[in-house]
Amino acid sequence: MARNRLRTDQKADICIVPLGQVPSLAVSIVAANIQTVVGLNSKILPPFPNPEYAFVSLRGQYLAGKILAALESVENETILKLGLVQCDLCTPILKFVFGNSQLGGKAAVVSLFRLGSDEPGGMYLRAAKIAIHETGHMLGLGHCHVRDCLMAFSSTPERVDSLPLRFCPACKYEVARCLRHYLGGV
Amino acid sequence: MGQSARILVVDDEETICESLIEWFTMDGYEVGSALSGPDALELAADCPFDIYLVDVKMPGMDGVELLSRIKEKQPDAMVVMMTAHGSIPTAVETMKRGAVDYLCKPFDPNDLSIMMQRILTQKSLREENISLREQLIEQQEGFYDVIIIYSEAMRKIFGTIEEVARSSAPILITGETGVGKEIVAKAIHHKSDCCGGPFLPVNCGSLAESLLESELFGHEKGAFTGAVKARRGRLEMANRGTLFLDEVGEISPRMQVSLLRVLEEKSFTRVGGSQSINSDFRLISATHRDLPSMIREGLFREDFFYRINVITLHIPPLRERSDDIPVLADHFLKRYVQETGKHLEGFTQRALDILASYHWPGNIRELRNVVERAVVIARGRLIGAEELTFLNPRTDAASPCIGSLRELEIHHIRTALDACNGNIVRASKQLGVDRTTLMRKIKRYNLVRA
Repeated sequence: MARNRLRTDQKADICIVPLGQVPSLAVSIVAANIQTVVGLNSKILPPFPNPEYAFVSLRGQYLAGKILAALESVENETILKLGLVQCDLCTPILKFVFGNSQLGGKAAVVSLFRLGSDEPGGMYLRAAKIAIHETGHMLGLGHCHVRDCLMAFSSTPERVDSLPLRFCPACKYEVARCLRHYLGGV
Repeated sequence: MGQSARILVVDDEETICESLIEWFTMDGYEVGSALSGPDALELAADCPFDIYLVDVKMPGMDGVELLSRIKEKQPDAMVVMMTAHGSIPTAVETMKRGAVDYLCKPFDPNDLSIMMQRILTQKSLREENISLREQLIEQQEGFYDVIIIYSEAMRKIFGTIEEVARSSAPILITGETGVGKEIVAKAIHHKSDCCGGPFLPVNCGSLAESLLESELFGHEKGAFTGAVKARRGRLEMANRGTLFLDEVGEISPRMQVSLLRVLEEKSFTRVGGSQSINSDFRLISATHRDLPSMIREGLFREDFFYRINVITLHIPPLRERSDDIPVLADHFLKRYVQETGKHLEGFTQRALDILASYHWPGNIRELRNVVERAVVIARGRLIGAEELTFLNPRTDAASPCIGSLRELEIHHIRTALDACNGNIVRASKQLGVDRTTLMRKIKRYNLVRA
């Protein structure tokens, strides 16, 4: 597992926001991996209500974009916000998404709905990888063509399983550069 | 992902456009969007896209009509149709009109990803196919146009090519007609960093100015009578490759100004167009003319000359490198023996002596023509002096003239026409007479053009 320089201050950079009934273990594992792999101090917020405002009855799913807009308006001292939901996410153009964010945006959301695994802890590992991927997008990274990079696009849970828990050297460099910009030289 | 394709999303629903823009931007594509068919055509007119994602159902101009209009202007555009209500008849109709795929909204992320990979692979294969075909045609046409490096003079030239090929500096190749300037230009291209790109030759002497302008800059549909569709010019097609301007001395001063601007700014517009197009290419020019003299006479621009002539390579005429003649003759003999199936083994010593002593005003092109003719009329296993009587060594500048003045004049005119591929304007300049005089002599002596 990649390690970043330890931060000496305790200021949180990203808050993890459980929305609805999300297993607390999943939240903790996501927070810990973002801290370890990306290098962002994570803070877990108390659970928020299920995002019914994002529900689309025609599709029986929740629009990720509406959840992102809601997360951006959450009052908090952290720069970035990552929501975790149990419900099935979609976008206007895609049937489903594991996670969603805006490139260089302030919010991201990850759904555990399609990440279930027969492997013990498999779901949590998949969630952690998707969360790190979406955090990369928030930092401004696009999809990576290197197959073994967390920023590579994954359209199936099996593909997510094949990813190691690290960035490729180019993306790692880019993450570090973005963090210096966000965190002011740390 | 290092994508090089430009994508245009066309859908009357703004959320769909935004969603797709977000998706493709994550993958590193350059994405644009339009909410209607006319808007899409306007955007594409300014700067065509590589891939279009078009919604079938739109008010006004629907997706099927837009597909046809896009294909009309850009036959090689890749168009994917999107619809929320898929129907087989519509799918068949759009595929018939040239769509590459037909997807139902919302997409499965995996399907969208696979489709984009497939389209890009198809695009890449198509471009590679075109490039390989062009290379194959070039190879077939110039298969035997290998460069013979035997004489000291040519070895020095190729030493220089090895040194200058890697730089991006413009090169001017000078030399008489038929010495092999284009072959040398190709050799430079293949040894340069542009070798992965195209080699685009343009014969500036064979086209009228208006046609040359269209050939170089391309044109938009309707730019002039006969411009039924937009066409890319050589300047655009040479991007990341080499542009070879043959007979650069024939370019008019007005065209020299236009080209000078292109060489300095690396951008231009098509004839009848307004959109600026960028093209980064390596320039190689060639001429048989004495450009410094033309500058003094006001027929060639000095600023253009210095722009195209950072490095000069002079190819000496064949008569100044007679060591190459037997090697070249043998090379051409093998070529024509293979083409004709004749059993010829070589030249007699007498034939080689004749070849070595001839003046060769048409240089290598003339030598090739001579060998081809000799192969056709040869009877035995060797080409001898009797197959070369048409060369008539009596007209060689180094030999004393025998025969009447009329015979001398006929042969000299015929040789000049052969050397210039029948081009009367060039032949008249080579002979030092005006075109009308030459035409009169051709008529008087009943000469047939080569």
